[in-house]
Amino acid sequence: MAAPITGLLKPWTPRLFLVRWSRYNPYYLEPEPRKELYNMPETELTTEQKEERELKAVRPIKATTNSTTSSVFNDPVLSKFVNMMMRDGEKILARGILTQTLESLKRKQVEKYHKAPQGKKAEIECNPYAIFHQALENCMPVIGLASIQKGGKFYQVPVPLTDNRRRFLAMKWMITECRDNKNRRTLMYEKLSQELLAAYSKEGNVIKRKHELHKMAESNRAYAHYRWW
Amino acid sequence: MGEDPETFTQQDIDRSIAYLFPSGLFDKRARPLMKHPDEIFPKQQAVQWGADGRPFHFLFYTGKQSYYSLMHDTVAKVLAAEKQQVLLLSEGPVPQDTKPISLVGSRWLLKEELEELLVETISDHDYARFIQLMERLLSLPNCLSEKDFVQRYRKQLEIQSSKQQVAPLQYDENGVAYSTADGRRKTATCTVLLRDCGSGSISINGRDYLHYFPVLQDREQLMFPFHFLDMLGRFDGQCTVGGGGRSSQAGALRLAISRAMLSFLSEGQVESMRQAGLLTPDPRVKERKKPGQEGARRKFTWKKR
Repeated sequence: MAAPITGLLKPWTPRLFLVRWSRYNPYYLEPEPRKELYNMPETELTTEQKEERELKAVRPIKATTNSTTSSVFNDPVLSKFVNMMMRDGEKILARGILTQTLESLKRKQVEKYHKAPQGKKAEIECNPYAIFHQALENCMPVIGLASIQKGGKFYQVPVPLTDNRRRFLAMKWMITECRDNKNRRTLMYEKLSQELLAAYSKEGNVIKRKHELHKMAESNRAYAHYRWW
Repeated sequence: MGEDPETFTQQDIDRSIAYLFPSGLFDKRARPLMKHPDEIFPKQQAVQWGADGRPFHFLFYTGKQSYYSLMHDTVAKVLAAEKQQVLLLSEGPVPQDTKPISLVGSRWLLKEELEELLVETISDHDYARFIQLMERLLSLPNCLSEKDFVQRYRKQLEIQSSKQQVAPLQYDENGVAYSTADGRRKTATCTVLLRDCGSGSISINGRDYLHYFPVLQDREQLMFPFHFLDMLGRFDGQCTVGGGGRSSQAGALRLAISRAMLSFLSEGQVESMRQAGLLTPDPRVKERKKPGQEGARRKFTWKKR
């Protein structure tokens, strides 16, 4: 923290402009909008949480974004998905599509629930949020490929992926799949709900794409030692 | 002049000097001032050698005697702590997971502050070595005895929530508590008047909030401060907003509502609001267009020839 502390609390531009920078001084910490965490009494906190609280007491905090609230319906994964679906800044349209998708998921599942025999009713998941999360988890690749140059040639080297990267890939594949491989007459929310249900039961094109990536990584196993990190 | 000589502070002195000796000079450092000589003249080192020419300090010929003597003392403490640790380990293994001295809430002195303390100039490399040595001292398990020594070279960080200015609560003629606040986001500005009525109705520019913000996201932002503090139906809001787009108007209203609610809250609630990110004004604005590029980041189409 080289700069004096009073100068940090103003809108900031960095001395050296790298490609990705933000108007907040790096001294600022991320906000925590969920309200349950603030009602916990002192006794239930672990040492790390106590230290985190002490740190937060002395550091300035960034402002919460437009799409985050303390509501129970606020989900960071869903917000990320809406942002990725958004085109030309039309958030209303993207959010509307997602709401329609969740509604159609619920309708399909409830229909299946009512048609199913008594024994099978407990297995059918009706919560669209649970289906979404499970489907996304089923689509997340475990290992990825990186293009590494060695001796003039580029090799596809199997590489571990961070959680963020895996989630991003799963969402990206889902969205591209729904945009490209659909009939001109089917709407986006319809195709998306079909793909999500397929991914939930581990079928469908997105799962196939994930398996292809895993197979490629397995076949390029010999180049794994090219990775240096 | 009618001033009380018993309670004459430095601020009053500055004010009087500025009044009695008006200066047309632009440079603030060239204007007349009246301060304690310690603040005006920089600290200098006293003469380091006696009448016979022999220096007092044994490290005088290093050139930076205070810095090297400080390093010397710190290394002695590190060696003593390591010796003690070896003795304790020989008696029996004692697992130590917790750090003895808490580092949260304070920071190391900056290089400039250390130079001021030692009254001599040190290089960046010297400063880095000093911090490295202190970190090494802190990593040893039995450094609690050196707490005072370490605290001398650490500066306490101030608690951020104490910087929040909470306006006192006002009461209108019916005895209803109310408070006003402003908020800004991008180019949208707004003012909010919150009344502790118990109705929960919010009007923006004379219209109901449901009509003004047909989008769910904006209404969620409006209700965020109320929902966070579980005070959803308690307040009655009259807001005026102008400028910006729908999203920035919602953000400005959220900030203004959070600020207006501060006068109704306790200290702990103010701190939770701050940690939830409700009280920070969002500094993100539209990035300017640069010459030679089409937009802020977009470059012109690259043509080979």
